[in-house]
Amino acid sequence: MLASTPPTVGAGEAQASPAPAVELRGITKRFGDVVACDRVDLSVPVGEIHGLLGQNGAGKSTLMKVLLGLLTPDAGSILIHGRSVVVKDPLAAAEMGIAMVHQHFSVIGALTVWENVTLGERDRLDPKRSIRHVEEIAERYGLDVDPTARLDTLTPGQRQRVEIVKCLRRDPSILILDEPTSVLTLSESEELFTTLRTVVQEEGRAVVLISHKLDEILHATDAVTIMRDGRVVDRLVTAETDPASLARSMVGRSVSLRSDAAALGLLQVAEQTATSEGGADASAEAAPARPPVLRITDAHHRAPDGRVLLDGLSLELAPGEILGLAGVEGNGQAALEALLTSLIHLDSGTVEVDGAEVRTGHPGAMAKAGVVVIPEDRHVAGCVLGMSVAENLVLDDVDRVCRRRIVSPKLIREQALELIERFQIKTPSPDTPMASLSGGNQQRVVLARALTREPKVLVAAQPTHGLDVGAIEYMTEQLRAAADRGVAVLLISTELEEILALSDRIAVIHRGRILGSFPRAEADLERIGLMMGGHVA
Amino acid sequence: MTAEAPTTSEQLVAKLATASAGRGRRLLVNVALYVVCMIGALAVASVIIVVATDADPFDVFHAMYEGSLSRPSAIGLTLDRAMPILITALGGVIASRAAMINIGLEGQVIVGGLLGAVVALKLGLPVAANLPLTLVASALGGALWAGLASLLRFWRNVDVVISTLLLNFVAVEVLSFALNKSYLLQETRDNVQLLPQSDRLPSAHQLTRLGSPPGFSVSSGIFISLVLAGIVIFALGRTRWGFRLKMLGMNPNAARAAGVSMAAVGGGALVLSGALAGLAGGVIFTGTAFRIQPGFSNNNGGDGLLVALIARRNVAATIPVAFFFGAMRAGGGFLASTGVPRYLVDVVQPLLVLAALLPPAILFVWDRRKALRLAREEAAAHERPALGAAA
Amino acid sequence: MNDLSIILSSAIRLTAPLAFAGAGEYVAERGGSLIISIEAMMISGAFFGIFGSSVFGNPAAGLVVGMVAGLVVALIHANLSYRLDANTFVVGLTLNVLALGLTSFLLETIDMTPHRAGEIKVPLVHNLPVIGDPLFVNRWTVYLLIVVVPLAWYLVQRTRWGLELRACGEDPQAADVTGIDVNLRRRQSVYLLGILAGLGGAALSVGQVGLFNQNMTAGRGFIVNAAVIFGGWRLLGTMAGCFLFGAADALRLALPAIGYTLPPQVLIAAPYVAALLALCFFAKRNTKPEALARPFVRGIT
Repeated sequence: MLASTPPTVGAGEAQASPAPAVELRGITKRFGDVVACDRVDLSVPVGEIHGLLGQNGAGKSTLMKVLLGLLTPDAGSILIHGRSVVVKDPLAAAEMGIAMVHQHFSVIGALTVWENVTLGERDRLDPKRSIRHVEEIAERYGLDVDPTARLDTLTPGQRQRVEIVKCLRRDPSILILDEPTSVLTLSESEELFTTLRTVVQEEGRAVVLISHKLDEILHATDAVTIMRDGRVVDRLVTAETDPASLARSMVGRSVSLRSDAAALGLLQVAEQTATSEGGADASAEAAPARPPVLRITDAHHRAPDGRVLLDGLSLELAPGEILGLAGVEGNGQAALEALLTSLIHLDSGTVEVDGAEVRTGHPGAMAKAGVVVIPEDRHVAGCVLGMSVAENLVLDDVDRVCRRRIVSPKLIREQALELIERFQIKTPSPDTPMASLSGGNQQRVVLARALTREPKVLVAAQPTHGLDVGAIEYMTEQLRAAADRGVAVLLISTELEEILALSDRIAVIHRGRILGSFPRAEADLERIGLMMGGHVA
Repeated sequence: MTAEAPTTSEQLVAKLATASAGRGRRLLVNVALYVVCMIGALAVASVIIVVATDADPFDVFHAMYEGSLSRPSAIGLTLDRAMPILITALGGVIASRAAMINIGLEGQVIVGGLLGAVVALKLGLPVAANLPLTLVASALGGALWAGLASLLRFWRNVDVVISTLLLNFVAVEVLSFALNKSYLLQETRDNVQLLPQSDRLPSAHQLTRLGSPPGFSVSSGIFISLVLAGIVIFALGRTRWGFRLKMLGMNPNAARAAGVSMAAVGGGALVLSGALAGLAGGVIFTGTAFRIQPGFSNNNGGDGLLVALIARRNVAATIPVAFFFGAMRAGGGFLASTGVPRYLVDVVQPLLVLAALLPPAILFVWDRRKALRLAREEAAAHERPALGAAA
Repeated sequence: MNDLSIILSSAIRLTAPLAFAGAGEYVAERGGSLIISIEAMMISGAFFGIFGSSVFGNPAAGLVVGMVAGLVVALIHANLSYRLDANTFVVGLTLNVLALGLTSFLLETIDMTPHRAGEIKVPLVHNLPVIGDPLFVNRWTVYLLIVVVPLAWYLVQRTRWGLELRACGEDPQAADVTGIDVNLRRRQSVYLLGILAGLGGAALSVGQVGLFNQNMTAGRGFIVNAAVIFGGWRLLGTMAGCFLFGAADALRLALPAIGYTLPPQVLIAAPYVAALLALCFFAKRNTKPEALARPFVRGIT
């Protein structure tokens, strides 16, 4: 199954004759009352890296799911190389040359690289042949993978390379990537863009790059289609546009690039913003060296399968300061978060809150000591999907709504209504199942619960992940307000923009330890980037 | 990828399920499905009866009805049979709330009955104390047996499913051993071949009976089981402990973050379920059997487990379901009169249970299809015709 | 030494039925299905094996009928649980009761003349000391294992179907995204389990004892579950687990004859206790399929 080879065209130049690699016309998709995609048109010529830009909730993912056969559109048509097709399921999509590089959902830990790559093919299983294929593709595109390695031994960056190999194996005409750089270091991102350029230029394919980050779009794409609220609002040639217009189209109103740099994914702007304003700076200087409210000393922890998760991690947090912990995903952030959620027990090392040692791994000990966590994946430990919104709002403090060990539904409801009002949680009623709420609103529930406990330490892991600009602004405000109230905030994030925008101090985590920390004013991208890659600057 | 659109097919399905416009009709469809499935199950049973025996299926079903529900004495018998199942089922629900699958209820019934019998027959306690202490001891026995599984889980990480399962078989052997040793539980008689069974429990130490044959007669154990049911329903639904148990079962990580320890609360739930199963063993001994013989537990634990699984979302449902199982047992006793082996009950009952599983499953599939169809119809009404969209 | 030979023979005979079912449950659990209706499959296989041998007049036909009976049970279980979303434990337990009740009922109402499988003596080697008898003098049903067990291994580890099945057992969401029909693969693995467990039951009745007794399998189905876990979800380990039980059973029967007197209950309980101890101290839990016993529901449609 070969991709058709069009006549050689200059990059970015579309001639009248060759049909676009993929064209979507008038795609509409509804979910009940919600219109996720509204008569969307998208056209990607061969040889182009095409960006699909939009906030979370704009409809980009839904559109791609339609193209991949995971969803059936209510209206509209799809054309591959000029031919009208019906994509009825992912298998059909694969046969038509549409492939997607998934983030977390498509490779299986317990299997090896070659097994993962061949999964989904139809012919007889032949290990030697599959290994050879993997090696061929890896060499052709400059991707460094070991065919016989077990997938759960690989880093996120390596996993992504396996995903890419898996896609390229199918010889796709169209390669779709969804927010690919969130798991990569800066240098790995550069490598990825180079690989993508090779893919489109040498093989006559096309790439669709879905993102909500302006930097990614400006850096890697030839042209960009911007979506907002389910509609296409603009189509631009990347070289002819600038961050401000992109941002305006994406959000629908004039946006201050500086204050929303984090939400917009503008690294340089985010870096320069706080330095020039010096606002965050001043407060860090003004607060004298106060005794730390949270102190973690030399924490060591090994996972059950032997992997070292925390390797002598030490950090200190002063009241009222926001410490931004930067790092590439998979370097111990999850373990640190679990530690502070009382989910894991340290092999050695201590955790102290206000000078008093807290038992690690003891259920509820951290919360009782005043450490509250807004988790990265709220479904893991942040909320109970099977319970109602009201119940989730009292999850860790049931005593407050009890009269002598008997739960009072009236008190729960009162508490719930108050919090729903205060935090603007959109829910039909307090008794709605938690699972029915949108991601942003679920996050608000978790936030509401965390803040009402009046914690001493607030840990926020990837707090704005998956939220639209408005929700991000809200979350940012809340975190800053908490810090102003004297709460010590630990912000764990893989998004540098977020770290730069919010933090008073920045630290970098790498392979389970802190490589260094410094005030915001001294932050520079190169240094942070090096540290994230493991080099102590 | 993040879920951008807030609704999924599942939610649309759920919306359909609760849409008030069709609620009355939906109830009707639901009832109709149950009736059809039940009749289907009885039809299958009838075919088996006809093929394998000379009996008339209607006679057979009538005999089962006669034995279980036709007159007061039958109802008393049904209640007698239902009470240990209900108590065990309550234990099963508690365990399953905490996401512990306690398949070992039968073994816990056995050990409970065993320990209770030892206290009742071998300790020479005064009459007033004997019965209560017997029941306490039987609860303790069951708790200990479940506690073994709990220990293995939290000390050595052995799956509760498999440990409780294996312990069932060990319990049977422990009982058999005890019944064969005169220094343990075997009967004491002079100059006679000793059978592997315990002494008979003197009537002074038995659970009192209410009413008397040939009219309505039931063991007071039924009150124990109903009171326990009330307590458990209240505790699970309204207390802080019940809330935490629910949290633990739905999301152990969130529960741990909130201060609920899997070992303490989850293990505790497992031990508690064992205690209830053990108590059921004691109730069997003091209420209906009066003598421990091999197999005295008679799969009450197994049935209790089944009832618990069926009723796991709504504890109160254990009462009618246990009653149904009791009726099946009582009815089975009458089958001999029709010349049909009593094993037939063990055919009719599971067929009915399987039949009861079908309506919710069928409705689920129908709702899904309907949701998809509605979505397509809506799109067609609003938009231009779908070009190239799959049918 | 002769005693040892007798015990070993007995052990092999008692292990064989477990081994067939064990191979089947190994396949099913690698796909993520924890099936507790093995008992139902085995006892149906045992009864209908005898029934088949009676109707057709030869043991081979009996084995085939037994396999079909096991398959029928599997069809019910797989479709209720992996197509219609009913709780797998409820279905499994109910099927066990149903199968036991039905076979007991039919035993008393139907007359059968069973035909037992004949014995094979592999020439020359059967005279080897100690192992000659156990390994080379058996009813021919035992030797079917030579084909079945390697086939099961090959199926899971070397075929595409097996790779997809393992993917379903480790990460069904990812498998789904890759285009694999998770519930279909799981159903298929359960069908295979039904056939093999039915064969195991028939091997017990037709292949060994020569008739059907009420509740003949007496919980062997659950032993198979224990064996798979004991064996760390590897086929060789599962077979070792089956042998543990077979050997313990054989010892129980043989020890009194040899002159050792242990309470029979201790011997009967011994394999279960041994399995528990093994699970405590020797089980390798990191080989458990990640998605074992978790029903698969597609995340977002």
